[in-house]
Amino acid sequence: MAGRPDLHGDGDRLMMTTLELLEPLARRRGDQVVVTTMSVTRPWGRLSDHDLDFASADSAMGHAADLALGIALARPERRVVCLNGDGSMLMTLGTLATVAGSGAENFILVVVDNAGYEITGGQPVAGVSVDYAAMAKGAGIPRTLTVTSAREWDEALDHVLGSSGPTLIHARVALGDEGPISRSAREEARYLRTSLAEWSASLRECLTRGAG
Amino acid sequence: MRVLTGAGTSHVVGIPDNSSAGLFDALAGHSAIALVRVSREGEAMAVAAGLWLGGARPLVVIQNTGLLESGDALRGTLARMAAPVPILVTARGYGKMSAAGLIPAPRPPRDLLVRPDVDSVALLTEPTLDAWGIPFRRWDGGEVEVLADFLSSVEAGGWPAALIFTGTVTAS
Repeated sequence: MAGRPDLHGDGDRLMMTTLELLEPLARRRGDQVVVTTMSVTRPWGRLSDHDLDFASADSAMGHAADLALGIALARPERRVVCLNGDGSMLMTLGTLATVAGSGAENFILVVVDNAGYEITGGQPVAGVSVDYAAMAKGAGIPRTLTVTSAREWDEALDHVLGSSGPTLIHARVALGDEGPISRSAREEARYLRTSLAEWSASLRECLTRGAG
Repeated sequence: MRVLTGAGTSHVVGIPDNSSAGLFDALAGHSAIALVRVSREGEAMAVAAGLWLGGARPLVVIQNTGLLESGDALRGTLARMAAPVPILVTARGYGKMSAAGLIPAPRPPRDLLVRPDVDSVALLTEPTLDAWGIPFRRWDGGEVEVLADFLSSVEAGGWPAALIFTGTVTAS
């Protein structure tokens, strides 16, 4: 982004954008649950209008990944993708060990690493260049991958979505300019136009419909 | 265990302490209740919220020290989602508090919070739950019907609630 600091230190303009990360996933996600948080919440809602989307917004920062893990453990027949932020991931790094210990083969955790707190204006996160794939591997998560370009992501996505995990994807993206997330009638995304409690009840009904 | 299985508990999510270690030991490899070990108590709230979203019936088991750590996770997930998830809170410091002739009260004076014979977490647990809008009751572990009633009342109440457990889980 012009005028933004080069937080990755290697030329943000050469990196994948958040949209380039989200678009192929929105096209190929099928009936998988997708949990979003922070700066990907609104752009994902522009690309996807699905009953199995869940915005961890107006919630508890740092807890999207563990919440998504809970869904994955409850519904082992369905794949769950969590689009977490790097700032959020840093708040609860212990979750990597929890994910590994859970053995949730249907869980895909994507750390969308823009190296900053985008919704508050792009202030850098702690750490110079955190290797989330290495952290995940060290925590015992069996499948990890780092992607930095749209081409790499596009080529890897079908394999990622079709393989057993748990899986962590470290997706390095350029810092964008999404503002603060809200839940209100003014939001474009359907999953942000209702309360967290109402959407939770709706998703639960959707996930348990027909279950014994 | 009989009460938990009877109530349909599907998962126990948490971190053991000396009071709950027997429960965690008994759950290892249990056929009907899955044990989810987390790394920090706030995670337990979020994992339980996700389990509830997926139609499971989790029980969170954490110590009261960890309850205080998990405040924003409890507020932002279980409470914000109106998820009726029961939380078993083991009660560190309640014995010392009782021996000192004290009871929990809002805004305890500083001299109590630094007294070496008092564990301040015991003084703060119930006022904190009260401030967060989380209903609670105490259970000494004597009558298992208390646990059964608690579990069913949380489900019916449509809201997370805590059972402050002042006893110790034994292998039997």
